Amino acid sequence: MMEWAKESLEKVEQSRAARLQQQAPMPSDTELILENFHPDYSGKERTVKVGPNAGDQKFPLELADLLEADSPLPVTHSTTSDIETDVLIIGGGGAGAAAALAFEGSELNVHLATKLRLGDSNTVMAEGGIQAALAENDSPRRHFADAMVGGHGDNEPDLLRILCEGGPKSIEWLSQLGCLFDRNSDGTFRLRGGGGTSIPRVLACRDYTGLEIMRVLKDAVRLSSTNVLEEHAAVELFDDGNSTVSGAVLYDRKKASLVNISARAVILATGGSGQLRLQGFPTSNHVGATGDGLVLAYRQGCRLAFLDSYQYHPTGACYPEALAGQLVTEAIRSAGSQVVNADGVHFINEMAYRDVLAAAIIKETQEGRGVTTPNGKVGVWLDTPMIDLKNGDGTLAKQFPGLIHRFERYKIDPVKTPVLIYPTLHYQNGGITIDSQCKTEVKGLWACGEVTGGLHGKNRLMGNSLLDILVFGRRAAESVRDQIPDRRPLTLNSLNQFRKNLSASSVSSPAFFPKASQMKLEIGRSAVEAESIDLSSSETSGGFEPPDPFAR
Amino acid sequence: MKNIEIKIVGKPISAQAGETIVHALWAAGMAESVQTGCAGGVCGACTVTVRYADGKPGGTELACMKPVEEGMEVFPCPVEPDKAVEPVANPDALTLQSVFPTVNRCTKCGSCTTACPMSIPVMDSVMRMQQGDFDAVAEDFTTCIHCGLCRFVCEDKVKPHNMGLWIRRSLGKSQPELKMVDEDSDQVEKEWQDLMTDDKQERMQRAKTFRETGSLSK
Repeated sequence: MMEWAKESLEKVEQSRAARLQQQAPMPSDTELILENFHPDYSGKERTVKVGPNAGDQKFPLELADLLEADSPLPVTHSTTSDIETDVLIIGGGGAGAAAALAFEGSELNVHLATKLRLGDSNTVMAEGGIQAALAENDSPRRHFADAMVGGHGDNEPDLLRILCEGGPKSIEWLSQLGCLFDRNSDGTFRLRGGGGTSIPRVLACRDYTGLEIMRVLKDAVRLSSTNVLEEHAAVELFDDGNSTVSGAVLYDRKKASLVNISARAVILATGGSGQLRLQGFPTSNHVGATGDGLVLAYRQGCRLAFLDSYQYHPTGACYPEALAGQLVTEAIRSAGSQVVNADGVHFINEMAYRDVLAAAIIKETQEGRGVTTPNGKVGVWLDTPMIDLKNGDGTLAKQFPGLIHRFERYKIDPVKTPVLIYPTLHYQNGGITIDSQCKTEVKGLWACGEVTGGLHGKNRLMGNSLLDILVFGRRAAESVRDQIPDRRPLTLNSLNQFRKNLSASSVSSPAFFPKASQMKLEIGRSAVEAESIDLSSSETSGGFEPPDPFAR
Repeated sequence: MKNIEIKIVGKPISAQAGETIVHALWAAGMAESVQTGCAGGVCGACTVTVRYADGKPGGTELACMKPVEEGMEVFPCPVEPDKAVEPVANPDALTLQSVFPTVNRCTKCGSCTTACPMSIPVMDSVMRMQQGDFDAVAEDFTTCIHCGLCRFVCEDKVKPHNMGLWIRRSLGKSQPELKMVDEDSDQVEKEWQDLMTDDKQERMQRAKTFRETGSLSK
């Protein structure tokens, strides 16, 4: 396969033996590469005119539009509560699930609402691993030092210390819940390096680490006393009339109705915004990653930080087209595969920081040393066959079954053939400002996980987001348990204040779904209705009943 | 790119060769007709059945992973989650049978293995479950996305993926406790204070030193 790239692939094979013997240098002119080629520096950003960040930091254009848009909620919306609960967690990924579990034994009534199903999240898609200072010569301080340098010194030190100190405890917590991480033959955890780790610190479950963590958390939540509201999208937050959050308006996608929740505390765990597909980049994110939590918190008066900084994962799939943007884990690089250009030249050390490597790959393609696919996309090679050459036959298949599984359908065997990669929009480095107790600047509202900003500075290291959601998901819950506020009235005062300052906009937000999906959350009209309208006008094929796939 | 036609629950839509069913549905404005979650092959939301115009055997697929083919017919096949079962430490075959009584009803038809979008040898693994070979089962189900198709297609109500997770979690709960390292707290706190100094440049410098030596001294 990949006949169209035959010439380039031959060059890659020819240079492989020599490349095996030598390391490519770390880039010395990192600032220059970032400024000239990293998408954060392209200038496609602007300030916004309304809300707590009006006129200060810049936001990507796609996000700025959403922050300045109006709510889809009718002005006349009632504020009578349909459900009263103690705690409302918004978000069904790893952070939300970890928070929910930390309420067990508290006697607080907990509801967890998710736009999709429980577990449909970026967490489940994480591949490479989770960092925890478990090696003999490692320590949470060393972990801190690595993350601080990787984040260009912009990480909030207090938050980062909490993250790193929480590493070993989080692994123990997950283990006791029943997570199985890969181990060495002597029974110790297998630790890998990642970009920017000064010592091997990344635990993994093959290249399905997030899947392993999420399926265990999901199972544990289903066994807990948490009330899970699936397919309930958060549309707006309620306040008490005096800037304290007191609940939320959800949209029940199945019933096509709005549900008012009164809650003594609200925890936002809504994750990232890769599906905004900034600057037309593909994304490795799940369908729901549209930054909804940023919009909701912003209207309540929460400041957002570092949102001029996104992580473009250097190795997203570039070919085949059906896999475009999907993650090829960094662990593949730490296991020995190199990043090489169309001429087979190993142009950069693949363990450079993610932002630098992504920028260097973009530079390589813009300067004509990339490989063009039949669909007109340009990428560079990730030389995966080097893994078995360095570590012995069978290593790639054993440690990276996910990579093999995804590509084999397209007759591409990463054991024998390099895969074509290009940076993909991967992680929202910035987000809602929180303190060390996960409290936002608005009373009654906590936040944890990718929706928050500050912990990772301007560049997150591999394995620190899976740790983030566990440490801060649980921490948010503990903080709420310690200081659960009294129940407050439901009003839309904060929204109404925000609305006064809006200028007319055709955009409505949150976005809820990717633009490309054309899915819209039309208040008052359900998916079921929409579908039945579509189908009533369709041609019949005489085959409406689903076939029995196993009929012989 | 080449245009082809597929049908979604009988309704013809135009799709482009090389794209997945999900992306074809998105482009056709019919995204809601198949439930999606990650669109990356790991959440198990977008289960569908497909059949082909030319009589080629159809089957179950993840719509986000399956490329469209000319004349393909797609039917949504959402699978509701099953009730979760609390895992136990040190599991054995008897305990498994008591919490999943249908484990021995398997008639070895192989539908589950055929249905699995992750190429897990599901039926063989059910045999291993019956025999209590749980380490092998845990390995088999390493890549399980809990789409539920193996349970959905089983006429004998065997629940392979639920049992796979129960076995994995139960083995996980049987792991020895991790020993936490107790460090000299005064020394450790001093290192923290030094690393967290307010001066950003100094903080970066100290972090760089710590990365190289594992301590603050050069």
